[in-house]
Amino acid sequence: MAPPEHRRQFKRPAISDQQRRRELSLQRQAQNRLDAQHRARCLASSALSFETAECEPECPEVELE
Amino acid sequence: LAGIELPHKQWPELIDTLLSNIPQLPAHTKQATLETLGYICEEVSPEVVDQGHVNKILTAVVQGMNASEGNNEVRLAATLALYNALGFAQANFSNDMERDYIMRVVCEATLSPEVKIRQAAFECLVAISSTYYEKLAPYIHDIFNITSKAVKEDEEPVALQAVEFWSSICDEEIDILEEYGGDFSGDSEIPCFYFIKQALPVLVPMLLETLLKQEEDQDQDEGAWNIAMAGGTCLGLVARTVGDDIIPLVMPFIEENIAKPDWRQREAATYAFGSILEGPAPEKLVPLVNVALNFMLNALMKDSSNHVKDTTAWTLGRMFEFLHGNTLDTPIITPANCQQIVTVLLQSMKDVPNVAEKSCGALYFLAQGYEDAAPSLSPLTPYFQDILEGLFAVTRREDAGESRLRTAAYETLNEVVRCSTEETAPMVQQLIPHIMLELHQTLEGQTLSSDERDKQNELQGLLCGCLQVLIQKLGSLETFKYVLLQHADQMMGLFLRVFSSRSATAHEEAMLAIGALAYATSSGFDKYMSEFCRYLEMGLRNFEDYQVCAITVGVVGDLCRALEDKILPYCDGIMTQLLKDLSSNDLHRSVKPPIFSCFGDIALAIGEHFEKYLIYAMPMLQSAAELSIHTGLGEDMTEYTNTLRNGILEAYSGIFQGFKGSPKSQLLLPYTPHILQFLDSLYMEKDMDDVVSKTAIGVLGDLADTLQSSAGPLIQQSVSSREFLSECLSSHDDMIKESAEWAKMAISRALSY
Repeated sequence: MAPPEHRRQFKRPAISDQQRRRELSLQRQAQNRLDAQHRARCLASSALSFETAECEPECPEVELE
Repeated sequence: LAGIELPHKQWPELIDTLLSNIPQLPAHTKQATLETLGYICEEVSPEVVDQGHVNKILTAVVQGMNASEGNNEVRLAATLALYNALGFAQANFSNDMERDYIMRVVCEATLSPEVKIRQAAFECLVAISSTYYEKLAPYIHDIFNITSKAVKEDEEPVALQAVEFWSSICDEEIDILEEYGGDFSGDSEIPCFYFIKQALPVLVPMLLETLLKQEEDQDQDEGAWNIAMAGGTCLGLVARTVGDDIIPLVMPFIEENIAKPDWRQREAATYAFGSILEGPAPEKLVPLVNVALNFMLNALMKDSSNHVKDTTAWTLGRMFEFLHGNTLDTPIITPANCQQIVTVLLQSMKDVPNVAEKSCGALYFLAQGYEDAAPSLSPLTPYFQDILEGLFAVTRREDAGESRLRTAAYETLNEVVRCSTEETAPMVQQLIPHIMLELHQTLEGQTLSSDERDKQNELQGLLCGCLQVLIQKLGSLETFKYVLLQHADQMMGLFLRVFSSRSATAHEEAMLAIGALAYATSSGFDKYMSEFCRYLEMGLRNFEDYQVCAITVGVVGDLCRALEDKILPYCDGIMTQLLKDLSSNDLHRSVKPPIFSCFGDIALAIGEHFEKYLIYAMPMLQSAAELSIHTGLGEDMTEYTNTLRNGILEAYSGIFQGFKGSPKSQLLLPYTPHILQFLDSLYMEKDMDDVVSKTAIGVLGDLADTLQSSAGPLIQQSVSSREFLSECLSSHDDMIKESAEWAKMAISRALSY
């Protein structure tokens, strides 16, 4: 007899490594997108600071978890 | 037919016709009528049937289930029909008398002399436990007695459903308690009745009893499901529901049975221990694990029963999964026992496939616990080479196809690679040619049966997965990146050949690996594009295996960041396909938000060249934005709506940033009123999550930064530039605050001209 469909496989971990690979890739891509945005805004901020001769704080690079 | 016609109100007399004269019908017609009613309830959604008809259906069904119904076929058909009709009975379950009556009839049916009726009646109880949990309090005592008797005495199909009832109650209570969060403020819509906690002193012994009823070969049979397995699964759920309280009820059973001569007793005790390792507080479990660990390592080497060894390896895996890692105060693995643990696991990986598979699993969690450890502190370093060699040897075992062993070995190899350090990277890098050779061998043209081809494709997926992890690891270590790049041509050649297989999993894994390679090689990836772009478009066209499509959308993002404007020659093909994807009703909705984000990636990469796509992309963004303003009902819908909003906003951000500094930026001006209106509406709806708030306020900054003074008057009129911005500036979330600071600076500059 088969187990109910929603029960995890017997004596198997809840998340497969395949699922983990997908999630880590998505996480990396989301982080890279954020970094690209940051870079674009940092460039703009530094141009603005230059124009206004004010010293703006540097945008920090966000670390990939 | 009813499934098609009823939702369109095209067969209004159907239910009345079916139910007319039902008491007078001959038994076989009555049976057929009840079966039909059951199918209708299974097929159509509850909103389609009005309450008057629901009442009539339930009356007929419950009458058919009644003990006074002499014909067992009719009673069975009625019980099966009730199972499907339960979703329609919301109103009836809110009425005490009607509910009492339905529950009485169901409980009576669990005592029928006919096994199939008893099984169906318990299935109804399982369905009631999840659909009407909050109505169960008056009946739970009787249900306990009924299920307890069934678990002890009834035939297996009935006993399995009786155990499933309690597993289902656990599922409900775990969900409710999770919603309470740690604070027990009780803001869940459904209160927790703590049925499991109350039943604990009798429920746990009942479940422990089932653990002793194992079948001889259950670990070799992939599809096996029996009372011992169901009971053990339920025990694990009970532990997650009640936490610490389970420990004193289970420990005496473990102590009594763990060293008995009968393998069933040793296995049951081990399984019980493994089951309670998730749920109770680590500080309660760690002392027990410290005592048990040595015993378990010994059993894994020396126990005479494969069944006991299998469960022992699984239990070790659970110890490492839940009680090992740098978040825990007291480590269960120390320099003193680490070597012994690794040696035992590597030895056990040579055991029969089902035991070896569980040992690989244990090693997976052992490695995972060190993933966040400081590089110099990984205690696995001295054994790293042995571990890699051991795992690789497992993948090449003749019998690795059994018990999912090969998959477990590759997955563990991945986890070991992920937790490697600069120090162990030279050993990791040596894996690359071996894995590539394995992949190459699967691509050599042999004639295969369809079964062999499935296995071949599965293996290709695993090997691409492993290469993806290797690329990501070595690509992240500056000193080793160049070694990786030396293999890039060969790897890419292999990945492209994988696309000629017909397996969605293999495609997905190859695509993920290519995304990682593009990120690692950066602009150097350009040389592969002319050949790769047709597979990229093929992935974007794959509606059926939407995961492949979703992964491919993510890879387009990787390519944009890697190639920047060198992606331009391929953009027409990519954009055409992405726009088609968005217009399609056949594509899974979860892929649509990432497609919007991908528009942003493309725009950011190609800058003003995005001009020609504006007339197609902007109206799509606009209509999606309008749709996303009003959150649909239910938690799932709110989550999806916020994901969609975030995708749309990321598109706007990328587009504004892409056009920044170009004379063509003014082409965006006509779209600005709508975008600002979208931001205002989001603010006014008050149901954005933090991620959306952060992206939304960032868009406001990007808009001001790109359009500058020409958007000044529009920005001034928008609520977002005042209230929303000021709320974000005082947010406790640093990311929101940072985006708001950016918006503030860009806006003040736009308004100062």
